[in-house]
Amino acid sequence: MEFLAQNLLNGVSIGSFYALVALGYTMVYGVLRLINFAHGDLFMWGAFLGYTALTAISAAGLSPGPWVFVPVLPGVMIVLALAGVLLERTAYRPLRSAGRLPPLISALGAAFILQALARNLYGASYKTYPSSVSLPGGVRILGDVTMGTTQIVAVLAALLLMSALHVFVHRTRVGTAMRAVSLDHDTARLMGIPVDRVIAGVFLIGPALGGAAGMLVALRYGSFDFTLGWTFGLKAFIAAIVGGIGNIPGAMLGGLILGVVESLGAGYISPQWKDLIAYVLLALILIARPGGLLGERCAERV
Amino acid sequence: MPTPRRTRLRPAPGHSFCSRPGHPFGHGPGLLFRPGLAYPIRCLLLLGALASLPVLLPSGCGRSKPATVRIGLEGPMTGDYAYEGQGFERAVRLLVDQVNASGGILGRHVELFVEDDRGDVKEASLVADRMASRGVSVVIGSYNSTATEAAAAVYDRAGILQITPSSTATRLTAKGYQRFFRMCFTDDRQGLFGAEFISKVLESRRVAILHDNSTYAQGLAEWGKKFLLERGCEIVFFDAINPADKDFTPSLTKLKAVNAETVYFTGYHAQAGLLLRQAPEVGLKVQWVMGDACNNPELVRIAGVDCAQGAIFTTEPLPIDLDYPEAKAFTADYKAHYGADATSVWWVMAADAFRVIRAAMEATKSTDSGVLAAYLHTGLKDLPGITGPILGYDEKGDRLGTIHRAYVITPKGTIVPYPKQP
Repeated sequence: MEFLAQNLLNGVSIGSFYALVALGYTMVYGVLRLINFAHGDLFMWGAFLGYTALTAISAAGLSPGPWVFVPVLPGVMIVLALAGVLLERTAYRPLRSAGRLPPLISALGAAFILQALARNLYGASYKTYPSSVSLPGGVRILGDVTMGTTQIVAVLAALLLMSALHVFVHRTRVGTAMRAVSLDHDTARLMGIPVDRVIAGVFLIGPALGGAAGMLVALRYGSFDFTLGWTFGLKAFIAAIVGGIGNIPGAMLGGLILGVVESLGAGYISPQWKDLIAYVLLALILIARPGGLLGERCAERV
Repeated sequence: MPTPRRTRLRPAPGHSFCSRPGHPFGHGPGLLFRPGLAYPIRCLLLLGALASLPVLLPSGCGRSKPATVRIGLEGPMTGDYAYEGQGFERAVRLLVDQVNASGGILGRHVELFVEDDRGDVKEASLVADRMASRGVSVVIGSYNSTATEAAAAVYDRAGILQITPSSTATRLTAKGYQRFFRMCFTDDRQGLFGAEFISKVLESRRVAILHDNSTYAQGLAEWGKKFLLERGCEIVFFDAINPADKDFTPSLTKLKAVNAETVYFTGYHAQAGLLLRQAPEVGLKVQWVMGDACNNPELVRIAGVDCAQGAIFTTEPLPIDLDYPEAKAFTADYKAHYGADATSVWWVMAADAFRVIRAAMEATKSTDSGVLAAYLHTGLKDLPGITGPILGYDEKGDRLGTIHRAYVITPKGTIVPYPKQP
């Protein structure tokens, strides 16, 4: 029982990061029908920008405690939001009427550029956040089930960001406009919605959440390198597909399911088999519901 | 109904670009132009054949003796093991520069070719092909056993002498390659040392073994298991992690459930750091013993001092603990040149590999890999090395002797020899 509870907790903790990154893929797909492969690398850049900020604070002679996340996290999110908009302007908008493949290739190119930039600027070795920023110790939740303090904080922050996004999309005018654009660009434009600005808004929010996820992942796991976007981004992308790409609660659900299945597979069968088990299950889900768990039922595929 | 456009992506059999009727290559029945193979695969084969031409041609024919001594260095300059690969390069380049400043080897300038294999199997064989086409006679490398194994096959065919500073998988020297040598000591000897340490010094009876499915880690894990069982220990867990992951809490939760006294982790330091860091999160309290790939201060940085302290690893001594005169001289030169200490024993092994090559070339007055290999197998005896006396090599190319020791991470995050050795 305790073993099951511990595995479920581990799964939720992994899954909430997958979910946070998956949101970026799914939001862009929702409004543009484009798989933004550069998203995983924007996420990786979140970890690196946080690293730059934290080392700069250390270099200035201040010992960064966990409190530095209060100013640094929003700062990183803002920088990445701007980077996301820039990316949309330069790599995607000029190709928007060019069909589906050219923007996809452009996205792949952007991903490679971002990755190569990180490797060349920061070097290829593992980076770590100063140990003073992580919260020490663990918390006994019940019986023998424990969770690290940093783990709890990171998971709570991820859940908080996701709830905020949900409220934003469903309770504000801009959110409503985003949902309208995701249904139909032309009709939305006829209703007086500035489609280009709404799309830019999506590119503000997705990378900002991705950047936050990057910092939280780096805080939680302690080390990362320029390949982080690839390893984590791929899983998140799969989570978005399973949840139903284009669907925001679907991305969260897909992320959590992927994390929990991985964790249970590793716990009850073997860590060597966990990816295989997870992907077989995901394939079965997709066979049963090709549009994903919460995806549109009659998705037209071109 | 299938759309007709799709068939245009792949040329129909018999109508592809290379085997079109009337095309000069079209009549040949050879592998390269067999109609059944898809066009891209055939182009790849053709490219591969072109790339291997310089290997197939005897290197001496008609060409004058190269004016320089060409030595290759293959290692992971980027990727997971970049820390080690870049250290290889610094250590070897320091010695090459010193040798060149004092007149080179056999009066010839030494030229060092550095290639990055990223620790990856596919890259490693490509690197080996490039080395062969550059006409190097000796290669130092690679770092991890998986890459070394892939490259060794190519080097053997090309007649290039290879010395790995750090690949410890036992089977590397069991292939009958006459020109393959290593500076480090094999996994079976390290596994034996680890088992002795766990059973005699720590007096653990319930041992869990965790590896990462790499050639090296799995080999060391199997040897450790064998010798631990011989010493009456119970193996309560034997499994692998996926080194591409960041979150190992599922494995750690499983480890907690088996109630082991000691976990023997045989993988690499990046994952070891993550394991140590995440162990308290699931409430796992256990003694960690790790293999020599965890011999790296970066481990403490990744895990954080609080989580890393008390962890033990078995390894060849750290460079700063080497008290041979050659070691003192080398570490001092290294620090003077790069402004930082040589922190990994593998860098020093790479430096020793170069010194062995130099000694062999000077003793035989030759740069021919066959002559050098014969000398290393039989002639080389008691060369004073940075990593201790190099007693010689056995017929398989393994270095004789062993120099393992156990180290522990202190509460300050420093690494010191464990007070009790088996």
